Amino acid sequence: MKLQRRKLTASVPTFAMGDIGFLLLIFFVILARAQDDSHIQWQPAKLKDVEMVAAPLASVAIDTGFKTYLDGKEISPDELAAALTTLLGDAPAGQRNVFLKVHKEAKASHFEPVIAAISEAGGDLFHILVPEEPLRKP
Amino acid sequence: MKLKRGKLLIDPPASASSDIAFILIIFFLVCAAVQPETGLAQVLPQTEEKNEQNEQSKNIEVTITPTSIVLNGSPLQLSTFTQRIAAALKLKTREADRIVVVKSAPDTPYPLWIGVSQAIEQAGGILTLELESERVITVE
Repeated sequence: MKLQRRKLTASVPTFAMGDIGFLLLIFFVILARAQDDSHIQWQPAKLKDVEMVAAPLASVAIDTGFKTYLDGKEISPDELAAALTTLLGDAPAGQRNVFLKVHKEAKASHFEPVIAAISEAGGDLFHILVPEEPLRKP
Repeated sequence: MKLKRGKLLIDPPASASSDIAFILIIFFLVCAAVQPETGLAQVLPQTEEKNEQNEQSKNIEVTITPTSIVLNGSPLQLSTFTQRIAAALKLKTREADRIVVVKSAPDTPYPLWIGVSQAIEQAGGILTLELESERVITVE
């Protein structure tokens, strides 16, 4: 006579699914922040007739200390063109958007080499600016 | 005599709090992701090195300094420059003739520079930057 072994079933407690999802989300948020440049201190210049801009492939910033950053990481303007070329890859023209965030007190000696580097990498340049406030009537 | 009504304490189910937090995070993530950015698109030709001794340029030349904008030798303010550059580019039909060479002093502020470049692009000009490159020559 054969004795049948009792089958044991192991099930994941569904009660914890919410917590697992929450922790996964925190993990991905932290990963995403590694490419974020929100920690960079800068103030945009104002200009008339600005338009909404599409999502970028890369973001270059010049902060209040006139240091250059690529996707939140500090980089020298000399290395920028090569880094951008790698980042933009084979993306077709029109989809090679590069945001340029220049602090409003920056001078030509700071931002012109950066613009030249973006041009050299074949990026579609978008200056990030804020619209000029309409004049208030007295 | 008043009869006091007994208070009933109702706790929300604690098992749902993680789901609530999850939905809240999704909400804030979506809000942060769709924050629109505004700016100015700029078309620049590919960078190329050019010797200074090359033939004299026949393109429109603009020099920007912190105090003035010089268009083909005449110093102007931004409002006047916008009108003059539009007039200068109006008759130019060929793309090659619409190239505007911009040379900036090292201390030119960004807001002035971007104002000038916007005026050039709105007038139909093709903005080209002329950058000075430093070269070290050792004399023996």
